[in-house]
Amino acid sequence: MSNLLSVEDLSLKDRSTSNNVLRNVSFNLREKEILGVVGESGSGKTLLSQAIVNWLPENLVISSGEINFLGKKMSAMSENELEKEIRGKEIAYIGPNAINSLDPTYSVGAQLLEKAVSIDKGNTSKEILKQKVISLLDDVLIPSPEKRFYEYPSQYSGGMMQRAMIVDALLSSPKLLVADNITMPLDVTVAAQIIKLMRVLRDKFNTTIIFSSSSLPIVREISDNLIIMKNGSIEEQNSTNEITSNPKSEHTKELIKNTPKIWSENINFQNIETKPILSIKNFSKSYKVRDKNKFNSFYEVKAVRDFSIDVYEGENLGIIGESGCGKSTLSRLISLLERSDTGTITFNGEDLSDLNKDKIKNFRQSLQLILQDPYNSLPSRQTIGRIISEGLLIHSQLSKMEIKEKVLSIMSEVGIDQNEYNKLLVGKSGSFRQRVSIARALILEPKVIILDETLSSLDQKEQEMLLSLFSDIQAKRNLTYIFISHDLAMVRKSCNRIAVMYMGRIVELAKNEILFDKCGHPYTRTLLCTIPTLDKNPYDKNLYLMDGEPPDPTEIGTECSFKSRCPHFKNNKKGSTDMGLIEIQSGHWVDKCGVDCGR
Amino acid sequence: MHLAGQFVRRILQGVVVVLITTFLIFSILRIVPGDPVRLIVGGMAPDNLVEEIAQKMGLRDPIPVQFGRYLSQVVQGDLGNSYQRPKNGMMGQGGDFNANMDVEMAEVSDLILERLPYTLQLAGLALLISLIISFPLGISAGLKPKGFISKIAFFISSVFVSIPNFWLGIVLALFITIKLGLLPSIGYQNFAYTILPAIVLAVETCPFIIRTISVSFAEISQEYFIKSGKVRGLTRNGVIYRHTLRNASIPLLNLLGIQLSTLLGGVIVVEYIFDYPGLGQLTIYAVLQRDFPLIQGIAMVTSALYVGLNIAVDLITYSIDPRLES
Ligand SMILES: Nc1ncnc2c1ncn2[C@@H]1O[C@H](COP(=O)(O)OP(=O)(O)OP(=O)(O)O)[C@@H](O)[C@H]1O
Ligand code: SF4
Ligand SMILES: [Mg+2]
Repeated sequence: MSNLLSVEDLSLKDRSTSNNVLRNVSFNLREKEILGVVGESGSGKTLLSQAIVNWLPENLVISSGEINFLGKKMSAMSENELEKEIRGKEIAYIGPNAINSLDPTYSVGAQLLEKAVSIDKGNTSKEILKQKVISLLDDVLIPSPEKRFYEYPSQYSGGMMQRAMIVDALLSSPKLLVADNITMPLDVTVAAQIIKLMRVLRDKFNTTIIFSSSSLPIVREISDNLIIMKNGSIEEQNSTNEITSNPKSEHTKELIKNTPKIWSENINFQNIETKPILSIKNFSKSYKVRDKNKFNSFYEVKAVRDFSIDVYEGENLGIIGESGCGKSTLSRLISLLERSDTGTITFNGEDLSDLNKDKIKNFRQSLQLILQDPYNSLPSRQTIGRIISEGLLIHSQLSKMEIKEKVLSIMSEVGIDQNEYNKLLVGKSGSFRQRVSIARALILEPKVIILDETLSSLDQKEQEMLLSLFSDIQAKRNLTYIFISHDLAMVRKSCNRIAVMYMGRIVELAKNEILFDKCGHPYTRTLLCTIPTLDKNPYDKNLYLMDGEPPDPTEIGTECSFKSRCPHFKNNKKGSTDMGLIEIQSGHWVDKCGVDCGR
Repeated sequence: MHLAGQFVRRILQGVVVVLITTFLIFSILRIVPGDPVRLIVGGMAPDNLVEEIAQKMGLRDPIPVQFGRYLSQVVQGDLGNSYQRPKNGMMGQGGDFNANMDVEMAEVSDLILERLPYTLQLAGLALLISLIISFPLGISAGLKPKGFISKIAFFISSVFVSIPNFWLGIVLALFITIKLGLLPSIGYQNFAYTILPAIVLAVETCPFIIRTISVSFAEISQEYFIKSGKVRGLTRNGVIYRHTLRNASIPLLNLLGIQLSTLLGGVIVVEYIFDYPGLGQLTIYAVLQRDFPLIQGIAMVTSALYVGLNIAVDLITYSIDPRLES
């Protein structure tokens, strides 16, 4: 087969600093091939993609080499030709920033139509083009496309916007589609759906695809051939199979070694069934949201529904679920930053529901919450020492010297150099900031720490280091951790028990190994089948990955909230009622399921 | 539906604003020194007569009572009659004792309606001129914040901001009307008399409009949905016309809503300088003559205009960007 694209010795230079940001990149791309590009953040995936579509940042220039498209030198083409024939026409580009890719003041459909009209140059009637847009929206599995056509970008979820941008790219029937990091902002289930969709579309529209991402497991799933990038140049290129089974370069070997294993690695947690330190019964929380379509009326969003759990002293409990399932609301409820509408909370045998001031003050010290965002959750104008001592200044009567001593000892415990005491956070990395957050929490000698997506913004290595810090501290202080996260690989490594949340409820709760190997709820299977991993996933995507997204939280009735995405649900049935957890085996709780839904 | 509800709510809020403004003006007029009756009856009238007439006119009642009476009139569509201006248009002379007590006084609403079109014409033309100047300058400055035009725009704005309107008015009248004889300026006989005062007003508002346009254009141009238009295959001009302009017009519309008050302030000065027969000039005379009903009527009408325009601006911006509607 002929080459659609060939890149020869391509280098990019930053005009202001004269640094080469991309160095001597060469590869060939055959028609209908899917080429995967894998590299850490900053390795040059985006720059390579942008060079191919001729959409480079202004300060960058091609300093050597050539891109040939269909046998034609791109450097010989005029800007006019590039605009009329290539960019957004023969070569389409989709990036990670789908949610901001369309004008918020027009409907999604209107803007897709605008592009269709601009490509078509008035040969086809608007009505026909509109039908084309709608049928493409249907192809990318946007539900009720005729209606969604008229909706605004702000009414689309991240996953739907990414689908809409795929339509945008397909409108010109491009020969080459450059998809740069398009699954990055998406939940695992949605990301898995998008990847499945890309493959279907390739077969349907005969599009050649360049697909880049920092996750090797994700790219491996879709690509025929792979390029591994590092620091702006290619480390290794070969067929996907060859690279993953028989890597040549050290960097690739390292990359494969650092990719989390889910099933092929043994996990070993002690059995921790001590006394419950924290016990939550029947927590629920609803929010009132103004109804945009009606004057002065509200609807209810049930963020957390009938949530009960016992947390054992010294354990690591994981709570996982997709975005919007109520995880963060739950963490605010547990830390009593917000009141739950119903239910009770008992800490160390003491019931806190009576809101006794002293008890709550004590509880606030004993339970610390560390948040996701290391950049905005810490004050930027205070010294690191001051930030860490904050809690003591409020809660204790220690003298200044005693406080400083304590801060310094905690700093060394979490691995922060004592020289940093008088410095500011400016320019510090995410993981450094999270260490400061941890020190700030530890200074109050808590019993329980809730980590709400604390590690999600960090890269693999930083995560690894913080996890081992957590377990050191735990061993010393007999701490209990609650990891709230959407990252299944992280939870697999660090938690002995895992609760799966869907639409505000627990649908399954089990020990780590039981949940991953013998899960009982259809939703858990859907989640597990989407984990990007290099080992063999016992849950087959073709069986368990369904299209569709979580339902609108305002539309939850009494029926099983997963039925719209459940592979077992039969359309003619009415759906089971959410009944609550049943213990199917000691310590393995599964939502009562499959009663009236045809399973 | 929702928009209609929003609309009703805004109108109600607007009515409250107008009422409060009117009440404030109403009270201040009666608290600060200066008795209108003395001006009505003339300087020679005896004090007891002044007192008698004031009582008869209700001016000695407590302010809330007077205001209630005034409001009940207003809801029937009657803004009252001027204290000083007779119906036939002839002004009584202040010194003539009792000169205009038996002449029928002009209705405030007639006086306002007669003047309002002139002021609207002036303000409209001023706005048009400043938009014609500001749009090309602001847009090119916004698209290329470091470019040459951006510097010109900044220069023009700085110069315009530092020119006092009364000075410019006098200079233009002297130079263009008297020296060059190009355009008329004092009084009003035909449309040409609006041009010079409008230019003075336009110079006053231009800098704000240029700045708003260039800043919002520069900001919107940085949005990903604008920058990525190129890679989606849209043309540069298409993106500017259909997306940048549309999004940048929201801050501009909001500014225009607010600028109206500056414009009205400018109108008073400019109409006075050019002896232009609009609402501004009427206001000045009304204040000098302590013509309470007229001042109140003008205050009410202008604040209603202001509120109405801002509601219109909001409705337009909602229809441009549905996210604002919350
Ligand atoms: N406009 C620019 N000018 C100068 N250097 C740049 C520019 N854009 C990116 N770089 C640098 O080029 C390198 C490659 O960046 P690039 O955005 O391609 O990485 P990436 O692989 O896409 O990373 P990520 O996974 O975070 O998206 C980085 O070191 C980056 O700092
Ligand atoms: S109750 Fe039925 S529809 Fe719901 S998750 Fe279970 S099997 Fe699926
Ligand atoms: Mg990138």
